[in-house]
Amino acid sequence: MAIRDNPLFTDTYSDLSDFAPEEGSTYIFGASAEERSSHYKDWESKVTNIKFVNIIEQQPTFFIAEENGIATTTVFLRANDQIKSFLESIQSKVLYLDITGLSHHIWAPLLKMALKIGCQEVLGLYVEPEQYRFHQAPKEGEIFDLSEKITGIAPIPGFIRLGEPSDEEKVCFVPLLGFEGTRLAYLIEMVQPPGGKIMPIIGVPGFRAEYPFYTYHGNQQPLLRTQAWRNVQYAVANCPFSAFYSLEKIASKNAGNLLKIAPIGTKPHALGGVLYAIINQNFTELVYDHPIRKPKRTAGKSRLLVYHISAFTNQVS
Amino acid sequence: MIFKPEEQLSQLFGSYKAEWLKGKLYEFFTEPSYFPELKTSRPCMLIGGRGTGKTTALRCLSYEGQFALSQFKKEEIPNWNYYGLYYRVNTNRVTAFKGPELEDKRWKNLFAHYFNLLICDLLLKFLAWYKKHVPYSEQLDENACNKIGKSLNLQDVKTTRDLVNSVDNLRIEFEAFINNVATQPFPLLSAQGAPIDTLIESITQLQQFQDKTFFFLLDEYENFEDYQQQVVNTLIKHSGQHYSFKIGVRELGLRCRNTLNENEQLIHPADYVRINIAEKLAGSIFNDFALQVCNTRISKLRKIDESIIDDVSKALPALSENEEALKLGISDLIKDMRDILRVVNGSIELSPLELYFIKIWAEGKNLDKKDVLKEYMDKYSDWTERFSNYKHALLYSLRKGKVGIRKYYAGWDTFIKLSATNIRYLLELVDQTLLLHLKKGRSLSEPVSFETQTLAAQNSGKKNLSELEGLSIHGAKLTKLLLGLGRIFQVMAVDVSSHAPEVNQFYIDDNLDSTQERLELEDLLTAAVMHLALIRFSGNKPVDEADTKDYDYMIHPIYSPFFIFSYRKKRKMKMSGTQLLGLISNPRDTIREVLEQNNRDYEEELPDQLRLFEEFYFGHSG
Repeated sequence: MAIRDNPLFTDTYSDLSDFAPEEGSTYIFGASAEERSSHYKDWESKVTNIKFVNIIEQQPTFFIAEENGIATTTVFLRANDQIKSFLESIQSKVLYLDITGLSHHIWAPLLKMALKIGCQEVLGLYVEPEQYRFHQAPKEGEIFDLSEKITGIAPIPGFIRLGEPSDEEKVCFVPLLGFEGTRLAYLIEMVQPPGGKIMPIIGVPGFRAEYPFYTYHGNQQPLLRTQAWRNVQYAVANCPFSAFYSLEKIASKNAGNLLKIAPIGTKPHALGGVLYAIINQNFTELVYDHPIRKPKRTAGKSRLLVYHISAFTNQVS
Repeated sequence: MIFKPEEQLSQLFGSYKAEWLKGKLYEFFTEPSYFPELKTSRPCMLIGGRGTGKTTALRCLSYEGQFALSQFKKEEIPNWNYYGLYYRVNTNRVTAFKGPELEDKRWKNLFAHYFNLLICDLLLKFLAWYKKHVPYSEQLDENACNKIGKSLNLQDVKTTRDLVNSVDNLRIEFEAFINNVATQPFPLLSAQGAPIDTLIESITQLQQFQDKTFFFLLDEYENFEDYQQQVVNTLIKHSGQHYSFKIGVRELGLRCRNTLNENEQLIHPADYVRINIAEKLAGSIFNDFALQVCNTRISKLRKIDESIIDDVSKALPALSENEEALKLGISDLIKDMRDILRVVNGSIELSPLELYFIKIWAEGKNLDKKDVLKEYMDKYSDWTERFSNYKHALLYSLRKGKVGIRKYYAGWDTFIKLSATNIRYLLELVDQTLLLHLKKGRSLSEPVSFETQTLAAQNSGKKNLSELEGLSIHGAKLTKLLLGLGRIFQVMAVDVSSHAPEVNQFYIDDNLDSTQERLELEDLLTAAVMHLALIRFSGNKPVDEADTKDYDYMIHPIYSPFFIFSYRKKRKMKMSGTQLLGLISNPRDTIREVLEQNNRDYEEELPDQLRLFEEFYFGHSG
């Protein structure tokens, strides 16, 4: 089935003021220095009876949350009972998880637990940036300093896998590509996937029309060196479900393979990758290099996207 | 089917990494000279940089490798003396065993248990494989399975199948625990190495495995955390009579030599055999090995087209120094010397390079060229030695400041030196050269031109330089270090007059005051050696392997065609710790400082290929 024939579970708002969280809902978010993560401020004054849960500190092994500006809770990420209690304590009929200002290692275990404990309705939220301040892929001759950009490969809490595939040839490496080819090169070096089994996913259409070209340009060297350009798949850049379907397609073409998914591209794609890993736990591994985000790396706010995650997982699982 | 030599080439030479070769790895395997040492029952540390063939060697020791190498003859399996079980240390697994949630001692216990499960899983997979290929072999009995189960705190394990399922379940439960390690109570853990010993003991009591040895082939040992190396070192130190460890590790990747007993260390040669690939393949050994590796691949091409040159060394002709000098335009530079020679009218016939040498010697020392020429002829034997020291170095200065090729890098022997015992680099050089040759419309039945060889060698250096960024998290620092050192040695090479020839190494004069800077330098040099940005030599003095100051360093010769300096191991200069760190933090000023210290011109024009980094060198473009 072509991706366009699959149901999509996304509401798109061109103007942020057209959207406000439902009354009686819980809205989890992380405020960062980026302009696009400040949209919640408008809603705080506009809507009532909403639990605004601000993750005010995002550490590698725990986070600290603040509810409606008052109570603080520390939650360890490798502690299911703490994540569960935290979610239960703030639960309401609708749970919004705004991934815009949250790191993958924070929102992914929260999402996993929210789906596991059966939160009634889980929605993901994402605000596209107007532009990336450093969006151009590094030029030839420019030196890309990974040590300033990533902390290195380590599992995302809640997604640690210890089992090895029965046959090491039965591994597909699926990087969800961003602009920074050095990150892809580093991951390939660390993962060492079998030859011919790198299946990159590129966001097409991109947030902006020119972004797919930046992606190709930035990743040109590792794509050429490994000939992975031959296996490129496309998925709508701001659509997690489109990424999910692409992963399904790769999995069905490589039955019995372990999919090593590297969510180094757009956040919606990462959401698609994480959802895929939650639903297909036995055949999936997330490989992530934990970037160090620069403050104000993006400018402006573009579209707001609301993803009906639980409706989607109910349908596919 | 149409024969497309480019595609065939890429398949044969282009898959440089053992990981990408799949089954062909065994088909193309050429036994390196150190291989018999690996096959002994003693623990071994196979030390070498990326691309030196560690993975290939270890995989060929594995039972899958042995099977493929024996042409898949099942009947031979019981006759093997050893069975190797390969495992590449996976960073995404081992980094799960750290964090502030637990104290170090607890992580050690958890990791030791994980390692037990891992090795048991490898052994059980091997038993299943053995049974599949040798069906009527003796199996573990109930008593043995029960005993092994107990060592893993498992109950009611009666058959091998029970054992496989239970170990798998145990791993799944353990995985859930590690995902929840901050608050979940500790599960029952197995004792360090106990299940491995019990399982091996039971296996070697089976008729078919009596007197056999099991090798645990652990590749990329550097990926373990330091404390994890300590845990595995303990097992290596005390590995039993029936099993042994063969470790693949990058130079300086064995960061921890302790075992879990604080007073005990893993010592060479008492506890393991140290096989340093670069040392083992030194000299003609690597040449023979590399020739065999390349010609095996070429023979596959010749099955399709017999006209293809059968020996790679013949496909890559070399230039003598005098021939090269002529190609680089020396005749134009020595016109004045020819005139003087006519006047002097000596009895000895001098080569163009000798005349050029006399010229720059005289200019450098501000002497009269005619006088120097006369002295050269009068004291010919004294001057010959001096000339031979400079002969090769002179070639780098002939096309100073000119566009196009400034120095040729051609010939099989040159390629051998450029690869510096790294088989992956050599295959890459050959691949890039032959591909470029074909792109230029030439055929594989004719030798490759000197120009094509040189351009391919430059491209190879450039490619490896650009890849360095992504090899490790510290890739950018290594790139900057190489760009800085490369520029220094390039300028020094081009300006040979009145200077020592072929200075392309350095030793470190540690002038650093702060501990933090010392650690920074230590980390930088370790990463540079591990990722083959630099190679190091101990000379003749005995040194501490971990002490970076005791060594002399050189940019890996694979980069020399890109920067244009000598690939030959020659003379060294002093560099301070501050200067080395400065090449990264403040490259422009540091390069200037080092060049001025060596009486060279900082403003020397960049060769064509370095213009890409103009911004880095001069802080402005165009």
